Amino acid sequence: MLEVTDLHIEIEDSLIPETVVHDFDITVSPGEIVGIVGESGSGKSMSAHAIAGLLSRKDMKKKGSIMFEGEELLSMPRSRLRDIQGDDIAVVFQEPMTSLNPVKTIGWQVEEAQRIHGNMSDEELRDAAIRMLRDVEIDEPERVYYKYPHELSGGMRQRVMIAAALICNPKLLIADEPTTALDVTIQAQIIELLKRINKEKGTAILFISHDLGLVRTLCSRVVVMNKGRITESGTVEEVFNHPREEYTKQLISAIPKFRKIAEASPVPDRKPILEVQNVSARYKKITGYFNPGAKQRLVVKNASFTMYEGEIIGLVGESGCGKTTLGKTILGMLDDTDGKIVHYSEMPQMIFQDPYGSLNPTKTVGWILEEPLRIKGGYSEKERSGKAREMLSLVGLDETYMKRKPDALSGGQRQRVCIALALMLGPKLIIADEPVSALDVTVQEQVINLLIKVNRELGVAILFISHDLKVVYELCSRIIVMKSGEIVEQGTDEEIYNNPQHPYTKQLLLSAGYTEVTQPDGI
Amino acid sequence: MKTVFKKLFTFVITVLLVTLFVFIAFELIPGDAATARLGINATPEALSVLREELGLTRPFFVRYFSWLFSFFFGDMGTSYSYGVSVRSMLASKLPITLTLTLMSFVMVVVLSIPIGVITSKYEDRPASKIIDVIGQLTMSIPPFFLGIIVTYVFGMILHLFVPGGFVSYNVNFGKFLGYLVFPSFAIALPKAAMSTKLLKTSILSERKLDYVRTAYSRGNSTTDVMYKHVLKNAIIPVITFLGMTLADIVAGSLVIEQVFSIPGYGRLLITSISNRDYAVVQAIIAIIAMLVIIINLIVDILYQVLDPRLRGN
Amino acid sequence: MMKKLGFRFRKNPELYIGAAITGIMALIMVAGVLFSPYDPDAMDASSRFADPSFAHILGCDNFGRDLFARLSLGGATTLFIAVCTVLIGVTFGTIIGALTGYYGGAVDEILMRFNDAVLAFPSILLALVFISVFGSGTWKVIISLGIVFVPSFARIVRSEFMRCKNLDYVRSARLMGAKDIRIMFVHILPNTVPVVLSSAVIGFNNAVLAEAGMSFLGIGVQPPASSLGRMLSDAQAFLFSEPSYAIITGASIAIIVLGFSLLGDGLKKNA
Repeated sequence: MLEVTDLHIEIEDSLIPETVVHDFDITVSPGEIVGIVGESGSGKSMSAHAIAGLLSRKDMKKKGSIMFEGEELLSMPRSRLRDIQGDDIAVVFQEPMTSLNPVKTIGWQVEEAQRIHGNMSDEELRDAAIRMLRDVEIDEPERVYYKYPHELSGGMRQRVMIAAALICNPKLLIADEPTTALDVTIQAQIIELLKRINKEKGTAILFISHDLGLVRTLCSRVVVMNKGRITESGTVEEVFNHPREEYTKQLISAIPKFRKIAEASPVPDRKPILEVQNVSARYKKITGYFNPGAKQRLVVKNASFTMYEGEIIGLVGESGCGKTTLGKTILGMLDDTDGKIVHYSEMPQMIFQDPYGSLNPTKTVGWILEEPLRIKGGYSEKERSGKAREMLSLVGLDETYMKRKPDALSGGQRQRVCIALALMLGPKLIIADEPVSALDVTVQEQVINLLIKVNRELGVAILFISHDLKVVYELCSRIIVMKSGEIVEQGTDEEIYNNPQHPYTKQLLLSAGYTEVTQPDGI
Repeated sequence: MKTVFKKLFTFVITVLLVTLFVFIAFELIPGDAATARLGINATPEALSVLREELGLTRPFFVRYFSWLFSFFFGDMGTSYSYGVSVRSMLASKLPITLTLTLMSFVMVVVLSIPIGVITSKYEDRPASKIIDVIGQLTMSIPPFFLGIIVTYVFGMILHLFVPGGFVSYNVNFGKFLGYLVFPSFAIALPKAAMSTKLLKTSILSERKLDYVRTAYSRGNSTTDVMYKHVLKNAIIPVITFLGMTLADIVAGSLVIEQVFSIPGYGRLLITSISNRDYAVVQAIIAIIAMLVIIINLIVDILYQVLDPRLRGN
Repeated sequence: MMKKLGFRFRKNPELYIGAAITGIMALIMVAGVLFSPYDPDAMDASSRFADPSFAHILGCDNFGRDLFARLSLGGATTLFIAVCTVLIGVTFGTIIGALTGYYGGAVDEILMRFNDAVLAFPSILLALVFISVFGSGTWKVIISLGIVFVPSFARIVRSEFMRCKNLDYVRSARLMGAKDIRIMFVHILPNTVPVVLSSAVIGFNNAVLAEAGMSFLGIGVQPPASSLGRMLSDAQAFLFSEPSYAIITGASIAIIVLGFSLLGDGLKKNA
């Protein structure tokens, strides 16, 4: 049905033309699901967009051949291409929020392709759209039809995108990282939906992803891309179980796997460092003079746990579950809270998720690190800078960084500076809010190792907030699971991972691809 | 419904604050209405009698609200220098200023929207770049200087109109409109350049967004993507700008009236400031402020109609 | 080095062209005020509307005064008024914006309502209100326009403070026990500089236009002081016989405004 041979894509952006995709070949038969995997910048999305006829910029040159149902897409007139786009080939994109037009109703957008390619009456269009919405498992499609994108959740929006793509019953659906922007449990649902559509309607799917785990569960054949070239292709069986190329092996070994970086440190006497008792937190949605306290939303409900000296606790849950709010509440950063929080240490500190927002861009690293001592007072200038240098070397950065500004640092270096900053006052408790989720995988590992070092060498207890069960498994000895503002389960890593009690914990582990811990290096 | 209520509430508060502000400003002027009438040589006794008569000894807020009520019911006092009621003076000049403002506004819209759409469509062509540069230059010309240029070029060189030959609307409506075309053009041109630039920037940045790619993937032509998807999103910031512009045009017309010798609110305001005819000044400023607040309210409502994200649910 | 400059120029041509125009105009005016051989107020009937020559490089006006000397002085007056106005606006705007943006609450709500009310007036109209209260003259124009500019700067600084106060580095400073004043003026304020700077330049622009407009209407700067607006209003009377007088004067204003607006656009791009 689709046969791409020898596709080259060239960008003539600046003076020197740059080829970004070389010798790209792929075939997709009717009803088949084929995956393209690769890291960001590997050219996988660009190849897929070329197939969908979406690379029309003047500075992009395409060579080779894209045959679809016996027609050459690359040389056909624009008007003929438009007939195929949306009718025979449809696309679902990564970011459902921005990929939908914010000022048009859901119904209008789902109907659009049918309006362009078919000749249905308004009545029929509406019926078809509602049927389609129901088909992608949207509740109350008659109501959703009149809504706007911003009124739906991320998962719902992606279902709408899929419905809009399928409205003309296309032969080929190109799914470009369709689940990357979604939470793991929603991710699993969307994958199930794609599988079902493929089975029921026989729609062929070209699935583009950086996530090898997903490709493995969904696709029958796979193409691996690196730096604009295909490094390997074949059935999922062949590629995953008997990779021939070094790069493929590397990629496969980077699939999330659950292993301990360090065993739990022995805790001699369990002295508490933090007690949280029945803590609730509210966010006032709209505050102001004219509607005081309007619309309060309970974000954390009755949370209780105890943390002991020198331990690392993982606080896990999906986005919006209230885990960050709980962290802020513990440090007294929010106003509207109930319950009792007892600190047994002074000046607990926080490490934030986004290393770009947590360092003042107008100051140097040295200034930033000395600031806590300046605020506390009683240190000479020499003492301050000495202490700053000491912490900097602890986190593995040399003195030259003192004079640099945050702009000149990489994400990993910034996060190191943030850790050094948190340590300046010698706290015994640090709350780390998703400290590695904004970083690349290799850098993630380094920062995790640094946190373990801080824990072991300085005896600092860490409350590690994360959505990533794999990372949490690497360093935490106890786990707390949160859902919709409530703690649903807590226990040791052993208990939570190997004997989860709450159905939500089970679902989380399943979506994260956790199989069994007894497989130390299993894929 | 709740948002509508809130909007109206804010509107009323703003009206009260603005009028209070105008009222206070004129309270601060040294010398009150009594001194103004009787002159500086008047005896203290005569002054206090007149003050009592004029109600100047009443508490501040009583005076404010009585002024506000009579203002809204059309009683704006009497002009000291002309000795006629301010209301009748303003009423006869209202069509002039209103026509000038509306004509300029229509010109801004009619010029900027098509030019913005076309130049963004052909952004790489040299012609589009030239229009950009001309626009940038136009924006830098102060409106009164542009008025002078228009007078010189269209009036003195091309003889399309007689500078200073204003004809009132009740004498010959056609000639009245014909004369106002030129001052309107002088007011509108820089604003149209700004609005064109804004629309173009807005279209260009919208075109890079993901939903545009989605629209192409469904088989839309470039024209359909522009008119069915991009324009409605891109026009939203332009609407705010046009709202602000309408307010600016009102202010701009004050100056332009001077250049083209048009007897509208602007000239009356300037003469009255020079004559210290405060009743007139106060009334004109209050009316213009009201106009601006009402324009803002309309823009706000229009905004919510155009952008569903701003509608409360 | 040259290559790097060329690259920067292509990336943000507005900034460099704007800076060049503004710099050159300021330089010419300073030179004109300091080094011109003519007293800008000295009248000379014999050189009434003299054409440009080596003696009078831009010619003379209706009283035979050297146009270049007068333009320099008038431009300098205009710029002086603009600078003072913006300084008043930025100083008070920053203080009000910082406090309301950082603390929020009822005081903020009331002040912002009031701010909205003031912003409802077109700036020249509001300045007219103050002028009719204070009277005309250079310093009165400065105070009137200065007050007019406070609300818009307050609004800009306020929204910057509202944005910054929830950033992680501010939260982290708070966790370390920094006092509010320190957070506001040591941690947040430097981060608002780019935005405030670019709006200050746009403010210059509006100030130049407003001052010129008011003086053109005859209610701004009063004789014998001179400003570009006032000169243009004089020149309009001789538009038919001596168009060059009006055109040179008007063009001077336009060039200053062009320089500032390009500079403002460029700074905004960099911010």
